[in-house]
Amino acid sequence: MTARTEELRLDGNALGGALLELLGPEGTATVGTCGSCGARGELALLVVYVRCPGIVGRCPVCDEVLVRVVESPDRTWVTLAGLRTLELPRT
Amino acid sequence: MAGTAVLGRLTTGWQVAEAVDVVEETPRVRTVVLSAPGWPGHRAGQHLDVRLTAPDGYQAQRSYSIASPPGEPPAITVEWLEDGEVSPYLVGELRAGDRIEIRGPIGGWFVWEPALGGPLILVGGGSGVVPLMAMARLRAAERSDVPARLLLSSRSWEDVIYRDELAALADGPDGLEVVHTLTRSQPEGWSGYARRVDESLLREVAWPAEARAQAFVCGPTAFVETVASGLVALGYPPERVKTERFGATG
Repeated sequence: MTARTEELRLDGNALGGALLELLGPEGTATVGTCGSCGARGELALLVVYVRCPGIVGRCPVCDEVLVRVVESPDRTWVTLAGLRTLELPRT
Repeated sequence: MAGTAVLGRLTTGWQVAEAVDVVEETPRVRTVVLSAPGWPGHRAGQHLDVRLTAPDGYQAQRSYSIASPPGEPPAITVEWLEDGEVSPYLVGELRAGDRIEIRGPIGGWFVWEPALGGPLILVGGGSGVVPLMAMARLRAAERSDVPARLLLSSRSWEDVIYRDELAALADGPDGLEVVHTLTRSQPEGWSGYARRVDESLLREVAWPAEARAQAFVCGPTAFVETVASGLVALGYPPERVKTERFGATG
């Protein structure tokens, strides 16, 4: 892994803005389960790459792509295809 | 984007905020206090996104941790990063009265409030101190007696963000314990730490694992990963070590 790539490796806290409309202000605390290895945890724990373009969130255990988000001028494109489940708190 | 930023077409989630005060923290770091009429309030540790629009419509956005404690207007502390698109404008150009677009607050995981207890070990690398400062300010504002220790790694004494305020927060019986390490240069007669944070330094500064402390770690990716793995090696359960990485693109 090049130094440049490492500088762009962040974590799931960086997903919060892009998922604001979908999951609300505290969305990084949403618990998901990886569809590939079954690891379960808060979205904040994902390994996140920004400026891909868009944002890619990978499972911190098996590295599978779980979340992809691209913000365009008039809409936000979201795929959660790598997740088995997302646990949305009912308040 | 240097020199000019216009307001883009407002889309969902974004609002216009006015800079009401600009405070020089270090030669490279400034705090911008924002007035945002629709601001719903925030928690300590959350961040907000800033979006700048150039006259030709090009947009750039970055995330910044909120430095002010809950109950106060949102303030962000921004470090000037060479070749950055957003930070040179925020640190070098923005004046009180200027307007920018923001969205937030954002984040529900890297947050602390006194009810979540402690003891607390806060570990910051450079401007990684910002969300930790919101926690320290909240702890002081609420007169919380949760034991709290901040380990802050800075390049030099001149680069220590919030230096005077940290000294003030350390005062008193329930004061925040502040431990500095200066990795690049030290003032004459410096008797504190002068090396990078690693497992052996954490062993000296962090609470022992038996204290069941809650750790918050914020800084550049490599710093955060060294500290987090160091704390886990000391026996901290991974779920008691909350991390937030920031990138080198400003």
